[in-house]
Amino acid sequence: MTDDIHALVGAYALNAVDDLERAAFERHLADCPACRADADELRETAARLAGDTWSVPPPRLRGEVLAAIGRTRQLPPVTTAAARPEQSGWRRRLVAAAAAVALAGGTGAAVYAVQEQRVRENGTLAAEAQLREARTRSILAAPDVVVRTAPMSGGGKVTVASSALRDAGVVLVGADQAPAADQAFQLWTVRGGGAPVAVPDGVLAAGSAVGVEIVDGLPDVDAVAVSLEPAGGSVTPTTVVGQVSPI
Amino acid sequence: MTDRGEARRADHLASVPPPPPDAADLVRAVARGDEAAFGRLYDLVAPRVFGLIRRVLRDPAQAEEVAQEVMVEVWRTANRFDPARGSATAWVFTIAHRRAVDRVRAEQASANRTMKVGAASVDTPYDEVVDEVTGRLERQQVRHCLDDLTELQRQAVTLAYYQGHSYAEVADLLATPLPTVKSRMRDGLIRLRDCLGVEVATR
Repeated sequence: MTDDIHALVGAYALNAVDDLERAAFERHLADCPACRADADELRETAARLAGDTWSVPPPRLRGEVLAAIGRTRQLPPVTTAAARPEQSGWRRRLVAAAAAVALAGGTGAAVYAVQEQRVRENGTLAAEAQLREARTRSILAAPDVVVRTAPMSGGGKVTVASSALRDAGVVLVGADQAPAADQAFQLWTVRGGGAPVAVPDGVLAAGSAVGVEIVDGLPDVDAVAVSLEPAGGSVTPTTVVGQVSPI
Repeated sequence: MTDRGEARRADHLASVPPPPPDAADLVRAVARGDEAAFGRLYDLVAPRVFGLIRRVLRDPAQAEEVAQEVMVEVWRTANRFDPARGSATAWVFTIAHRRAVDRVRAEQASANRTMKVGAASVDTPYDEVVDEVTGRLERQQVRHCLDDLTELQRQAVTLAYYQGHSYAEVADLLATPLPTVKSRMRDGLIRLRDCLGVEVATR
């Protein structure tokens, strides 16, 4: 398994992987210092290719950038106590949203399994699925993306990455324990004090602990809830197992 | 703010020193909020940041926008630079490449880009102000080492890096199986690493 995923190291160093693959690969690196050194060297090599792209930007850009940094707050230094090992690197940016799929332990492994399956089927992905992936990437890469998480009652996390620019969000469900084979997680949105509204196509596969759903108009809602339902979903939530609020 | 920046630029340009400032030192100073150091870092990396983004995006106006985002990101996250993981310039170019590729892929969702194969298909104008000699030497070295790869290695590496294609797209473009493309990216980069003499200090 380890050898298999490490075959991605070149594609990873070239940034030729998608967000899910990157998250899976970075989990792999966190567990393997030798692999990390290998990846660091290849990424350093890839960056040297930028040396062949010399092109002087318009002079006004310098003034604009300097003005912009005057308005931009810097991140504080990482405190080692708070930093998880795989976060000590510097490549993490907005992809934190995607990496959030790869939660600790069992869930990470589950996502990884889904991921590998997807890689195998990559050649035959339906156009719709590709579009979904591209949309997910686009939302996660939006400059204004806001990422929030909430714990699930049975362990695990719900993560919501929302972008007003894209007028959409990505909801990542990562439960520690999969529901029974005849049950499924379902997503809901809540506006104001209103009743929860079922997210269209927001029922995860039966028995699946993990799922990624795109939700249109997400920045407008006040909360996203996850409930446990009979397979196929319900009209109103049965048992809410996690809620992210505000968005 | 802008005025002060311009003044510094003039000072800096008047005394362009033969030994270029060390990028890692500059990033460390930037992490402490040193705006003057940021200006020097900008001068050091901006032509390659802009050039790289422009090559990936192929649109100068968009490249300018993304280059600004990247440089602000460098300022914002300077504390996250870890010298044990690689050089400061590679850290900056990796951010730039990620942003450029993110932008390209976001746009691909709606429309397919025109594919153009080849590493040298975009002109890269020089500016007399920057250290042209250093730039030329670096270009020559990179091109020499790219030429040293097998055709498939070179295509796999350049289609991914300069055009922002995923390895799955590269596999399609080259009509080559996915595992082969993954391998060529890996062994191509290893060969480049050896040719360019890239080392990362291990601690």
